[in-house]
Amino acid sequence: MELQLGLALPSNPSKGFDLNYFASEPKEIAVSNRSFTVASSCTDINDINDNNKKRSFDQTFENPTDSTVPRTLPLLLWNHHPNEEDDPKDLENHSLVTFNDKKDGDNGDGLVGWPPIRSRWKNKRLCHENNGAVGLENGFACGIRGSNSTYVKVKMEGVPIARKIDLSLHHSFQTLTETLMDMFGQWWLETGQKDSNQYKLAYQDREGDWLFTEDVSWRTFSRSVQRIKLLKSSR
Amino acid sequence: MQRMACSFPDEVLEHVFSFVQCDNDRNAISTVCKSWYKIERWSRRRVFVGNCYAISPDMVIRRFPDVRSIELKGKPHFADFNLVPDGWGGYVAPWISAMAAAYPWLEEIRLKRMVITDENLELISKSFKNFKVLVLSSCEGFSTDGLAAIAANCRNLRELDLRESEVEDLSGHWLKHFPDDYTSLVSLNIACLGCEVSFSALERLVGRCPNLRTLRLNRAVPLDKLANLLRRAPQLVELGTGAYSSELRPDVFSNLSGAFSGCKELKSLSGFWDVVPGYLPAVYPICCRLTTLNLSYATIQSPDLIKLVGQCQNLQRLWVLDYIEDAGLDAVAASCKDLRELRVFPSDPYGPEPNVPLTEQGLVSISEGCSKLQSVLYFCRQMSNAALMTIARNRPNMTRFRLCIIEPGTPDYLTLQPLDVGFGAIVEHCKDLQRLSLSGLLTDLVFEYIGTYAKKLEMLSVAFAGESDLGLHHVLSGCEKLRKLEIRDCPFGDKALLANAAKLETMRSLWMSSCSVTFGACKLLGQKMPRLNVEVIDERGTPDSRPESCPIDKLYIYRTVAGSRFDMPGFVWTIDEDSAMRLS
Repeated sequence: MELQLGLALPSNPSKGFDLNYFASEPKEIAVSNRSFTVASSCTDINDINDNNKKRSFDQTFENPTDSTVPRTLPLLLWNHHPNEEDDPKDLENHSLVTFNDKKDGDNGDGLVGWPPIRSRWKNKRLCHENNGAVGLENGFACGIRGSNSTYVKVKMEGVPIARKIDLSLHHSFQTLTETLMDMFGQWWLETGQKDSNQYKLAYQDREGDWLFTEDVSWRTFSRSVQRIKLLKSSR
Repeated sequence: MQRMACSFPDEVLEHVFSFVQCDNDRNAISTVCKSWYKIERWSRRRVFVGNCYAISPDMVIRRFPDVRSIELKGKPHFADFNLVPDGWGGYVAPWISAMAAAYPWLEEIRLKRMVITDENLELISKSFKNFKVLVLSSCEGFSTDGLAAIAANCRNLRELDLRESEVEDLSGHWLKHFPDDYTSLVSLNIACLGCEVSFSALERLVGRCPNLRTLRLNRAVPLDKLANLLRRAPQLVELGTGAYSSELRPDVFSNLSGAFSGCKELKSLSGFWDVVPGYLPAVYPICCRLTTLNLSYATIQSPDLIKLVGQCQNLQRLWVLDYIEDAGLDAVAASCKDLRELRVFPSDPYGPEPNVPLTEQGLVSISEGCSKLQSVLYFCRQMSNAALMTIARNRPNMTRFRLCIIEPGTPDYLTLQPLDVGFGAIVEHCKDLQRLSLSGLLTDLVFEYIGTYAKKLEMLSVAFAGESDLGLHHVLSGCEKLRKLEIRDCPFGDKALLANAAKLETMRSLWMSSCSVTFGACKLLGQKMPRLNVEVIDERGTPDSRPESCPIDKLYIYRTVAGSRFDMPGFVWTIDEDSAMRLS
């Protein structure tokens, strides 16, 4: 099948993309290889120097349609060579796709929030045994193994804001408790409580029942946990 | 002649204005002259706030003193995918308090992605005597106790719709709080609730509300109770079943089938958790009337799906798992000639290999067979430029096109080229495209196409795409109608953002996460653009502790006339005109 897009690129004479909105109307000025300048009084942005690595763009920028864009100052003049420092395009490399490392590098092999399906929806659909289920991968049964739908909400008694914890990173109650204590540590400093023994870990299982973790094995817990709560032990 | 407009008495103008409901039109009316502005503001009954932080409750109340219906949206869309940390914001409390004092006649509250507590719900239930509609879409922060307050106190309640909210299930007894003489329920959606609701209370409620039109049950309602419910509400138009499984028994089946047949108005079906295929034929009698079918929880195989959907000749909206396979979509294309919207969800999104034969071909078939197709959400594992071009040429009337190729950076599987020209064809041919989501291997070229052609585009979602700031620049400078832009994991940095700073004020919001934006650029934007809130969301600690050139984690920029918000948590940093870094 021929790839005919019929994309007629505008063949206008070089129109500049005038970001110089000092004037009340946009002017059409020729594109030139000016170096970046910042069109404002702030000096935080370094000048980016033009160099010899030029990309060839057939496309020139059309003037923006001004009816929608207010005439305020852009904070940077656009120059046609934004990537002097980059390597030339290399499609084979797949360097086009950046997989930024996550902040604490603890997502393992998974990406947070990808594919973009609602986690709540996933958990509801897949965290329950399916009598008539056909074709569901086993490792998927709880949404915990091998995937990144492993975030579980954690609420600490007395703390208004809940947190989420990635259960796939843990394999024992000890590491889990330590992590939770760190997570809520800020609250402790404020309330003066430091002793982790003061809190008991409870969780809600798939059936909706609340259980104490001290009564179950890690395996049982990790397979059915939906939600976690840290309760004061004085209860 | 010039005086004519002013010579009408206010009451006449108000009456005329009452025929104009659309927000944009009413906004236009209010700009004609001072007198029209005044009359319009007193008569505006419905307000939509697309970003709850774009304006303060007081400002809304000051301008529109007699509002009966309000809709508010909170968190950015990517919160659905766990990209927004808990505690970011979106609290409805200040709105409820302000409205409780100012709008005693408020009837409707619709919230999306907001945090609402039991206290808020209780305040609603006690403050608005004529309260009728509560829709909580993807909300959180409340429990069944809050629902009990609504049930107990809102005597005129018509709609209680909890769609996809996260509710703390304390007990199923909240339903009992509807008084025995309460009969005005029209719509009840509790599909998101985990716990069992008191079934006898539900039955009685359904039985005594003759206007009940929509009933979406939760999974905990067993199939063998469904027939009784249906017999009490044969006037139902929309039904969400509970779990659709039970031992196969002829008496249960015929009871169910009879109950369904009795629902002559039923047009929409959903639910279908845990489907036992043997019970599907119970709905066959009503399939020909169905316009909406949501099978996104139904883990049944293609043959059963085909048998079901093949009978739904009037179907307009179909949501289904990829178990339907290409073959099933061929069948849909042949039978459902009125189809307007298709969503195909992945059954195994994290598996490394395809688990079902669902490819780009299914979507191509649909585009060929369904001439009214306007809206697509499609998860698959392979795509080609050729397929996209065919789809674009077949369906230039498409308005929403969201394609998710599951593996990031997947090229055209036939040519191994990026999918730039395929998506380019979509934006070129579908001139009314309002919403687009991209995926697969994409260079800056696709953004050039989008900036050139997608002149009606209002919302764009981008992930793992592009090569440089040029890509972002094309979009920001070319898409005139762009309102919402959400980007993750793309090599976009400061330049395009700063060069198009003005554009950001014409949009509702911009989200960028895991890109290459520096804190320095954010500070600059925050300082120079007073009508933007520039929020840096970073759970690693203060951005000042890292070099200014270090990319920030997440950025959320939105226009606002309310200034900085006061409820930011510790991991959100914002900079205002004073050039001082403000913490929460």
